[in-house]
Amino acid sequence: MATYLVRRLMLGCVTLVAITIVVYALARAMPGNPLTAQLGEDPSRKVSAADYERMQRAYGLDKSWAEGYLQWAGNLLRGDLGRSITRKQPVTTLIGERLGPTLLVSGTAFLLIWTLAIPLGLYASARSGTADERGVSLVLYALYSFPTFVAALFLQIMFSVWSKGTVWELPLFGMADLPPDAPLGSRIIDVARHMILPVACQTYVSLAYDTRFIRATMAEAVRQDYIRTARAKGAGPWRVLFRHAFRNTLIPLVTLLGLSLPSLVGGSIIIEQIFTWPGMGRLFFESIRERDYPTVMGLTLMFSVLTLLGQLLADLLYCAVDPRVSVE
Amino acid sequence: MMAAHGFWIEAWRRYRRRPLAMAALGFVGFLMAVAAFAPAIAGTKPVLCRYKGRLYAPCLAYVDRRFEPAIFAKDKFRGTYPKNLAEKDPESWAIWPLFFQDPYRAVRADEWPGRPENPAMDKGIPSRSHPFGTDQAGVDVLAKMVHGTTVALLVGFVSMGIAGTIGILIGALGGYFGGWIDAVTSRVTEIVMCIPTLVLILAIVAIIEKPTIWHTMAIIGFTGWTGIARLTRGEFLRLKGAEYVTAARAAGAGPLRIMLRHILPNALAPILVPITFGIAAAILVESGLSFLGFGAPPPSASWGSILNGARSNLAMWWLVVFPGIAIFLTVLAYNLVGEGLQEATDPRLREARK
Repeated sequence: MATYLVRRLMLGCVTLVAITIVVYALARAMPGNPLTAQLGEDPSRKVSAADYERMQRAYGLDKSWAEGYLQWAGNLLRGDLGRSITRKQPVTTLIGERLGPTLLVSGTAFLLIWTLAIPLGLYASARSGTADERGVSLVLYALYSFPTFVAALFLQIMFSVWSKGTVWELPLFGMADLPPDAPLGSRIIDVARHMILPVACQTYVSLAYDTRFIRATMAEAVRQDYIRTARAKGAGPWRVLFRHAFRNTLIPLVTLLGLSLPSLVGGSIIIEQIFTWPGMGRLFFESIRERDYPTVMGLTLMFSVLTLLGQLLADLLYCAVDPRVSVE
Repeated sequence: MMAAHGFWIEAWRRYRRRPLAMAALGFVGFLMAVAAFAPAIAGTKPVLCRYKGRLYAPCLAYVDRRFEPAIFAKDKFRGTYPKNLAEKDPESWAIWPLFFQDPYRAVRADEWPGRPENPAMDKGIPSRSHPFGTDQAGVDVLAKMVHGTTVALLVGFVSMGIAGTIGILIGALGGYFGGWIDAVTSRVTEIVMCIPTLVLILAIVAIIEKPTIWHTMAIIGFTGWTGIARLTRGEFLRLKGAEYVTAARAAGAGPLRIMLRHILPNALAPILVPITFGIAAAILVESGLSFLGFGAPPPSASWGSILNGARSNLAMWWLVVFPGIAIFLTVLAYNLVGEGLQEATDPRLREARK
């Protein structure tokens, strides 16, 4: 077990090095650099060639991408993710600022998804084959195919344009309208109102996917011999479903939970972009557009570590829960 | 080979029993027909016309600009056919597209005798003459969508063609040979899997100087093969121990022949399922990119780019509703086809049905 863990962790490090090299090379290969991306937008801030060169040197942009990467990796080993070039702040501070808003939306969505998906999935498998189950399944399937950006625009039109002036009107953009010195109660309500649409968008796709997943694993479990045994010994249908079938589907469910770790912290680029939600996904999108290499690299590193950790966690949980599976 | 043949006939019989899957297949067929006949369905260039004694098909210009007959440029038609044809050759006749609207520009006043100018901005609400409305610039949305069908279909097939080829190749090599080859291919798969797809795509789109729709398709293909590779690897690992593979090896077949002729046909059914789901995902990614403004630049008529126009003006709901429903239905159709395929070819699910 220990050797397996060490080997997995070492392989993970190799993968991380490869990922960061690829992303750094890609980022540097994009036309322009943080200075041109920033200065290009504002003609009043034209700088002289000498100044430009001095700034380039200051940010290490005059070096080749290989040198730049080595410098970045060296700083990383010393626990330093670097400073954002366009925002003049340490990358860790930036990530810390954006983590809260993203967790607010994705955490709420995550809770909603699992409190709804499990009962819905169980309901669908209990009523399998009946008309109402087919209806529910079809609706979930349709939701799963519905693009989030279309849903987001629909919701924006419904709750802002069509319900202008009614109680249904919801804010379209951002996270809060009230100043930070407003009373706490009204500020909470304000943020909650801003959250409704992004949370709804983030919830429905995963809800549909997870419910279908639960139903599929339940369908697999119901076919096993021990279910027939349970039925034969006289257990009622709900008891069979909960005590015998559902408990055995917990393993793949736990795996799915592990794999959703990166998206929980990373947020959704498209949803945060549409609702201008100040979270991680939007930071990623903006930092790519601004060619802000340190931020791009910091976020990439974080996503990759989380993805690899999620996979490792899923594999380990699998072995821990199911004695038939060995780490080899 | 006979057995595999019978397998697909059997699978098709089971597939046909699922009405939703059949409806989805029918919808994909409908989209293909729309894409193939797009220039004849909506356009401002005659499908066929007789001009100065010769027959031309100017509508082919919608397929590729170079197909526009040179004589019309020489006679200064400037893209407006109805009046010019009548003025410059009274003898001429033309067969027009079903719907006289252009996907790339607004139709001007009196371009078609007696037809007013296309409305622009929020006056473009759907009406009799514009069933799906017009966009900010006055371009008819229905015409744009008809021509955008080609993009939606091509994106799915081209990018999944690329992704399928790479995924099957990498998965087959890793699964069949094992050892260090497997270690390398698995690592490469893991690396591509860990980089957030949208980031990879945004970076590559930025690097390409003049991105076209073909670049977008290639990028989606080159980033979307990891799931297929993993599944192929698993299938090859499972099948390489099969008796018929040992028999083929004993008969002197080389590794390439064994992989292509013996294992792949038997592994194809489970691999086709993620490819079909991948087509749906590719369409989503492409329209998402166009929506964010990172797709192919105009005048490519992607459904996602119509949506992008609605972002700045939410009152123009028709720019969201119609292309949104089109993307949704197409994605849903491919997902239903994939699910039908899965249920028709998976032996375990088949047994359960009895």
